[in-house]
Amino acid sequence: MRAHHAFAAEFDVNRPIKLRGIVTKMDWINPHSWIYIDVKGKDGKTVNWMIEGGSPNVLVRLGFTKDALPAGSEIVVEGFQAKDGSNRGVGKSLAFADGRKLFLGGSAPGANGEPEK
Amino acid sequence: MESTEETLRRTNRPISIPTLVRLRNSKKRLKSVLASSAMTAVSILAAISLAFIPAEAQIPAYKAPRTADGNPDLNGIWQVMNTANWDIEGHAAGPGPLFQLGAAGAIPPGLGVVEGDGLPYLPAAAAKKKENFANRLTLDPEIKCYLPGVPRATYLPYPFQIVQSQKYILISYEFAGAVRTINMENHKKAPIDSWMGWSNGNWEGETLVVDVTGLNDQTWFDRAGNFHSDGLHVVERYTPRSADTLHYEATIEDPKVFSRPWKMSMILYRHVEPNAGLLEFKCVEFVEELLYGPLRKKPAK
Amino acid sequence: MTGRYTLRSFPALALAALIGLTLPVAGETPLRTADDQPDLQGIWTSATVVPLERPVNLKGKEFYTEAEAAENTKRVLGISSWERLGSQAEVHYNMSQFGLDLSQEKIALSLRTSMITGPDGRIPPFTPEAQKRLAERAARNRGHQFDGPETRPLQERCIVFSTEGPPMLPAAYNSDLQIVQGRGYVAIVQEVIHSARIIRTDGSAHLPETIRQWLGDSRGHWEGDTLVVDTTNFTDRTAFRGSTASLHLVERFTRVDSETIRYEFTAEDPATWVRPWTAQLMLARIEGPILEFACHEGNLGLPHTLSGAREAEKAAEASKAVK
Repeated sequence: MRAHHAFAAEFDVNRPIKLRGIVTKMDWINPHSWIYIDVKGKDGKTVNWMIEGGSPNVLVRLGFTKDALPAGSEIVVEGFQAKDGSNRGVGKSLAFADGRKLFLGGSAPGANGEPEK
Repeated sequence: MESTEETLRRTNRPISIPTLVRLRNSKKRLKSVLASSAMTAVSILAAISLAFIPAEAQIPAYKAPRTADGNPDLNGIWQVMNTANWDIEGHAAGPGPLFQLGAAGAIPPGLGVVEGDGLPYLPAAAAKKKENFANRLTLDPEIKCYLPGVPRATYLPYPFQIVQSQKYILISYEFAGAVRTINMENHKKAPIDSWMGWSNGNWEGETLVVDVTGLNDQTWFDRAGNFHSDGLHVVERYTPRSADTLHYEATIEDPKVFSRPWKMSMILYRHVEPNAGLLEFKCVEFVEELLYGPLRKKPAK
Repeated sequence: MTGRYTLRSFPALALAALIGLTLPVAGETPLRTADDQPDLQGIWTSATVVPLERPVNLKGKEFYTEAEAAENTKRVLGISSWERLGSQAEVHYNMSQFGLDLSQEKIALSLRTSMITGPDGRIPPFTPEAQKRLAERAARNRGHQFDGPETRPLQERCIVFSTEGPPMLPAAYNSDLQIVQGRGYVAIVQEVIHSARIIRTDGSAHLPETIRQWLGDSRGHWEGDTLVVDTTNFTDRTAFRGSTASLHLVERFTRVDSETIRYEFTAEDPATWVRPWTAQLMLARIEGPILEFACHEGNLGLPHTLSGAREAEKAAEASKAVK
């Protein structure tokens, strides 16, 4: 078992999401960190999504602080939505609006690319 | 005739000047007492200075045995004998929040552990405290088996163990397996907030002084709803006061909640039974019905 | 210095110093504490490329050559984090983006082909009693895996992590632990899930049989420079690799050199395996610090999983109704 819990039980492979939004806050907590983003829908209404990530402990040990993803940052999230249909998702890929990957993405071995389908 | 040391231990209060004079006049006695232990001189000085310190802050002069690296030895299993976890302020007995538990769930009385006249809440915070108390059954993090934070972990009704090395002092609390590691060297700033905080410690004579920062705002001070913000800063002082007791003091500073710093103090008692040891209190399984019951396939009625 | 590096920065020569059977580096006396106990203190990682069980095609081959080990290590660390996730990759966050991939961790290199020692390198067969017990348990659970918290794995409930032990095994990430020694005790604190095992080293007696604990009851004593820890009194729900409350563990910790501890455990449960089995792994020193892993406090995964299951059931019922 890779993650603390079975993500396949929580998120739906049939509900892919691609969101662009403004970070409102990030919870640097365990067992999973959470990034909250305000996403403006096509109807003009803003909805707050919570995106699940990994344990932040390694990032903190590497010197990342809470300012590594400050509120107001614009990010793009590609992932899948929760099975219960709520505004919650898992972020397979997290990037700033300018294309730079968040945290260690793109610079570490094993970070490259998505699984081939 | 007894030495100054013995007098201090017996009376556990400041030596009056006439007594000191009487002791001093027995020159031969004093010489041998002074010669036998440097600590006795400290005791005499301490006795004089103790006479001018308010009663709550008195700590009997005592020199604990040393660890192999020369520091006061705090290794052991400790526990409080007070009701601070119910309410850190002085309180009479009262009914608990669940009538079904009768006397077993009632609030035992206690003199309180806060020095001075009450907790100096800012006006908005005082209102929040009242709200916390009114809703403590749903809001108290202890009920959900959440990590208790500092200083509450010290005075929960469960033992804790200190494992002391030169570089690190580990404190393991029986409640929920809460654990903290006090960094005795290479002090760094708290890298991130946490439930049990980030502890940097050093020795001041006989006292272990621990500076705790990086505490999140999720814990309470007690079951009565006394709370803090994430700006909480705690300075703890652990001072051996006899072979089997420590004097514990915590100074609380939180300008978002309190108008000034305040202090709590209490005694930590050593578990001396030969097979003393922490047992498991992994309470997560005891709170699952409470937290997740409605999500069951077949919720309990 | 973060203490994290890949194989590329680790000299091949150092491999020789870190095989499972290594003796202390010539001329270096084992480190001692101030009160003259063997010193196991420090912050360590159990992360490794060595699997618990030997691949079947390597039966009989307990050790790689240096060259083979280097190649195998390179291969394992070169696997992308997506491949490492395997079937979970579909709906999972990117591990390496958070620094949680194995290739981003410091590891103690080893020539072993498996942690389990011996010619076989695999967990012994279950006893007939155990096979029956486990089959019955699986049958009972079938279709009920999401009924409630008690049907979920202990790890998902934040009670005990699957690799926490004892015995300790490397986790998918954060395989960090700290050892602190005080007069008469050795304390082992694993980052996940902040469990502290405080082990008396005076060979004292175990708890009474009636007291069972998730992590059992550990009692230690020194044999030369090795800390030997005997653990019994497990609950019947701890179930390490399908075992029962009668699981009996003996762990051995030996400081090999300033950067390494050799950790070995023998697991015995006549109600589960036909014979005891032993595994060995090396703990490598890391800079740390150990950070708090408050699992239960932030455990949204469990309620989300349960609510997801409830939604799926509603949807299934709704579509049945339509038919």
